[in-house]
Amino acid sequence: MTGRARARARGRPRGQEAAPPSVGAVSVKFQISAGFQEMSLGDRGGRRRDFHDLGVNTRQAIEHVRESKTGSSGAMIRLSTNYFRLTSRPQWALYQYHVDYNPQMEARRLRSALLFQHEELIGRTHAFDGTILFLPKKLGNKVTEVFSRTRNGEDVKLTITLTNELPPTSPTCLQFYNIIFRRLLKIMNLQQIGRNYYNPSDPISIPNHRLMVWPGFTTSILQYEKSIMLCTDVSHKVLRSETVLDFMYNLYNQVEEQRFRDICTKELIGLIVLTKYNNKTYRVDDIDWDANPKCTFRKADGSEISYIDYYKMQYNQDITDLNQPVLVSQPRRKRGSLMPGPAVLIPELCYLTGLTEKMRNDFNMMKDLSVHTRLTPEQRQREVGRLIDYIQKDDSVQRELRDWGLSFDSNLLSFTGRVVQAEKIHQAGRVFDYNPHFADWSKETRGAPLINAKPLDNWLLIYTRRNYDVANALLQNLFKVTPSMGIRMNKAVMIEVDDRTEAYLRVLQQNITSDTNIVVCLLSSSRKDKYDAIKKYLCTDCPIPSQCVTARTLSKPQSIMAIATKIALQMNCKMGGELWSVEIPLKQLMVVGIDCYHDTVSGKRSIAGFVANLNQGMTRWFSRCVLQDRGQELVDGLKACLQTALRDWFKWNKYLPSRVMVYRDGVGDGQLKTLVNYEVPQLLDCLRSVGKDYNPRLTVIVVKKRISTRFFFQSGGRPQNPPPGTVVDVEVTRPEWYDFFIVSQAVKSGCVAPTHYNVIYDSSGLKPDHVQRLTYKLCHMYYNWSGVIRVPAPCQYAHKLAFLVGQSIHKEPNLLLSDRLYYL
Amino acid sequence: MDKNVQEERFTEMIKFTPPLYKQRYQFIKDLVWKYKPKKVADLGCADCTLLWMLKFCSCIEVLAGLDICENVMKEKMHRLSPLPGDYLQPAERSLTVTLHHGSVAHKDPCMLGFDLITCIELIEHLEEPELEKFPEVVFGFMAPAMVVISTPNSEFNPLLPGVTPFRHPDHKFEWNRAEFQSWALNIARSYDYSVEFTGVGPPPTGMEEVGFCTQIGVFIRKYSQTKSLFNKKLLRYKSVIMMGFFYVFLYVVKVFKAVYPSLKDEKYLQIAVVSEVVFTAQVIKRNLLDHLHSEHEEYSDGPVEIKSKSQHSENCVSEELAVEKCMEPSVSGNVVYIPLTKIFSFPKVNQLCGTFEKLYKLIADKVTLSSDGSAMVVDIEQEYEEEEN
Repeated sequence: MTGRARARARGRPRGQEAAPPSVGAVSVKFQISAGFQEMSLGDRGGRRRDFHDLGVNTRQAIEHVRESKTGSSGAMIRLSTNYFRLTSRPQWALYQYHVDYNPQMEARRLRSALLFQHEELIGRTHAFDGTILFLPKKLGNKVTEVFSRTRNGEDVKLTITLTNELPPTSPTCLQFYNIIFRRLLKIMNLQQIGRNYYNPSDPISIPNHRLMVWPGFTTSILQYEKSIMLCTDVSHKVLRSETVLDFMYNLYNQVEEQRFRDICTKELIGLIVLTKYNNKTYRVDDIDWDANPKCTFRKADGSEISYIDYYKMQYNQDITDLNQPVLVSQPRRKRGSLMPGPAVLIPELCYLTGLTEKMRNDFNMMKDLSVHTRLTPEQRQREVGRLIDYIQKDDSVQRELRDWGLSFDSNLLSFTGRVVQAEKIHQAGRVFDYNPHFADWSKETRGAPLINAKPLDNWLLIYTRRNYDVANALLQNLFKVTPSMGIRMNKAVMIEVDDRTEAYLRVLQQNITSDTNIVVCLLSSSRKDKYDAIKKYLCTDCPIPSQCVTARTLSKPQSIMAIATKIALQMNCKMGGELWSVEIPLKQLMVVGIDCYHDTVSGKRSIAGFVANLNQGMTRWFSRCVLQDRGQELVDGLKACLQTALRDWFKWNKYLPSRVMVYRDGVGDGQLKTLVNYEVPQLLDCLRSVGKDYNPRLTVIVVKKRISTRFFFQSGGRPQNPPPGTVVDVEVTRPEWYDFFIVSQAVKSGCVAPTHYNVIYDSSGLKPDHVQRLTYKLCHMYYNWSGVIRVPAPCQYAHKLAFLVGQSIHKEPNLLLSDRLYYL
Repeated sequence: MDKNVQEERFTEMIKFTPPLYKQRYQFIKDLVWKYKPKKVADLGCADCTLLWMLKFCSCIEVLAGLDICENVMKEKMHRLSPLPGDYLQPAERSLTVTLHHGSVAHKDPCMLGFDLITCIELIEHLEEPELEKFPEVVFGFMAPAMVVISTPNSEFNPLLPGVTPFRHPDHKFEWNRAEFQSWALNIARSYDYSVEFTGVGPPPTGMEEVGFCTQIGVFIRKYSQTKSLFNKKLLRYKSVIMMGFFYVFLYVVKVFKAVYPSLKDEKYLQIAVVSEVVFTAQVIKRNLLDHLHSEHEEYSDGPVEIKSKSQHSENCVSEELAVEKCMEPSVSGNVVYIPLTKIFSFPKVNQLCGTFEKLYKLIADKVTLSSDGSAMVVDIEQEYEEEEN
């Protein structure tokens, strides 16, 4: 008997919030209380995604860090962080009971009512989902039998059996804390959107861009190194106060009619929309231009109904535009054992959320937005403190916590970190120190010769008539800045071109010879299609380095020289030149960087960039990428990349690396297990397949940029950003991992974000201190930025490559380019 | 015989489409459509499904639920909270939803002043003493303009083989039509209401004599309750509380309250108006500049466009006074002037503000206005950067 039939059979129905109309199967889910359902699913493992990668215990397999995973070098620094300790009474435990009814009672309301007739036995504080009962105290007996009487006089025997006594650190308890904490957030009237909670009553409105920003929090309670803690950070939800239909009309007024559908599809697919009538979010996977709100669909009971009537009847929502297309969203998750059909959504009833790629590239919009969302360390600390204050002051929240015997520390966790020393920048025999506070050496190294300068003997400069002056200015300034770098430069072949994509391509075809070093294209606007076409041609059909410059960037006379310097450096890297290096004490070391780009527009492809050094100084890199269609395993492509990288390494060095160190970026929350169980063994396999006697040491480090952890350095009574080079490997790390945080970059405004490194496999035997130092050194080696960056350079290179391929080229670039940083 | 099997047979024999409970809710929704009550209370609201359905009815401004079982009510009460969408585009109407934990056998002032009170499948769950108090509480004390009571019709039960003696173990009784109707008529007489009987869940063909599966009584108050009477009643109960009879609170406790954002609230109205105005202004500005731009393209090409554009426009707006009087936006130097009269003429802005004075009042400190306050000033420089980045 299905849940619905049961509900029908009873006098009182079990309410169901109607699901959005979906084509095909509609399964009716029997709702257990949301919280527990989550919990029991989590217990069974699998169905619910484990965003915190619980239960992946990699440290125990790495012998040399079982005792200690902490480094030692650097100066001590007193830090605080956005973590609050969760404390429980001594000897605290959560008692899990199973409740049986004889005769069987199926209505949960009745089951609850029968159980709570014995409140004097079980107490006021309990959590019960109809079967499983959680109590903060232990009952007198392991098995307790009690009798209840229904209102019509039926006697029911309840058997309450203790099934588990959960210590504060058990995984079930952690989930339980999170559920209780979510209850608290709801009590505080915060709205859940996705995984986070927001306060809708004080929105920040940015009407210029029709944006609405809700301040809120991301929270999670986890077991950290020494204690269970709440990690909470300020989060901002960007919502749009326009519906998808408004957006479509606006766009329609801005573009030519024949391009409208195409552009609209590109803009909307992949976006998350929020429905007006319920609190659900959907990802737009397709737009059905042939359908409209007058179309009908089949309801669960088999009857046909039009979308107009459905929304009118169900939610009293009037659809005014009867000719709008409909949005299609594919379900991500199974509902029970059924895979529901795609959900059909009406643009007029959906709000846009988040930012499109186009908006992200809109400098003004991001500026307006960052005024509100970029918080200084002081502001951030205050906001985080406000949440904890609220928890401490709200009576009902406190009561709930007290009843469970739990409480939160009211102060931010503080501890000691280390700041490792700044590196020395080596450049063609000269050594530079940089100001460790700014972590930037563009001033120090200005005008100094490069390690390896590639000559510009034969190169093209392509421009439109309108930009003739700008082209000349660029040329003159390059002549000024290149000599001191050691770059030999002839005058460019100057070619004027019509401002059309085809014209650019024709010029390229006609003028590139086998001697051409590089092509510079001066573009009159940042129109993406022209850029894409040029890059595609020069990365695949005619593999030659290219540099595109938007004319506008050169328009200000006072900054043109600085920009010409940057362009010269960038061009040099693209041709295989080398700029600077830092000292890398480890020999025969191959460092690999991997990052992924998920192409949401053209067919859900993923692209992985793979970058590995070719020389000891880490100044030359091998780059390849993997294009992976949906359903394919990424790792097969990565294996092929690693094989070619080793082959090229051998060509360059006449020996193979004895150590391989992989920095793996682009790993989503909850994907760690797959990485450990599948990707690492495949990499090992690949290394083994090289030769019988070849047995290099492998280290695999997962790099994570998007984390909630923030560190504050208390200085002069005010919280500041910790200096670059700050390493944290205590307190906020996880006991089951070999992990650490590094703050490598300096930021001018806002709060610096540390990067989390998790060593998931390590046969190197290297001390943690060495791994940390090496990682920090690698953050100095990204040639597009004369300063320290957030991730090791190979990760950033891999990111750049994957982004270029995913955004512009859409196929694998020519391998002839693979020994150069052509994608910078 | 196993209960589930019995029920299965029951559903095989008689199957209502849509399910019976939905028909009952639909019945209420139809009534709300027809009578447009502003304040509605659901007694025995259980998991709040009916309330959730009713919150979409735009005539309702106050919704309240009462149930004796706090746990069941709390389970899903958060779906009665405003949704993100309600904040993004606040509605014209105001809406407050409250839930109370308590018994229908107790008079509580929070239950006063309703237009419609629904008691769906409630009375059959009441014990004898509660049932006795029920008419006085609902019809005498709460005295709404309309009451709807539904309850099982026991004459239908023989068609439901699994049902012995009642449809639900918690039912204290199930009445046939005559029993229900005499009870209802009696109430109507005593409290000056009229009552009409109907039902949902029609009997199968050939069995029409058993009547609807669920019988419903719709009560309409015959006298019109004057405000003073209502206030008197409220005062009396307030004074009871003030005199220290806190027992009232022991029986009825508020467990949930949600106030929906509404344009009636100045704060939300201002946000809505300012957003609309700024956005509209951006559109006007863009159109204006595009227009000037395209005019210009014909005879000039090159990066000097901005300079020449402003010159161009300065020529045509030499007399500033004249410009601000007219409805048309104009360019002057690096800014665009958009007359407020023009902004006010936009349907959405007009509809939101109602009067020009209101518009002025709402946006005055939120946007840049010209020195005499007649036009909104929008920067061009910003737009230029926006396009190029």
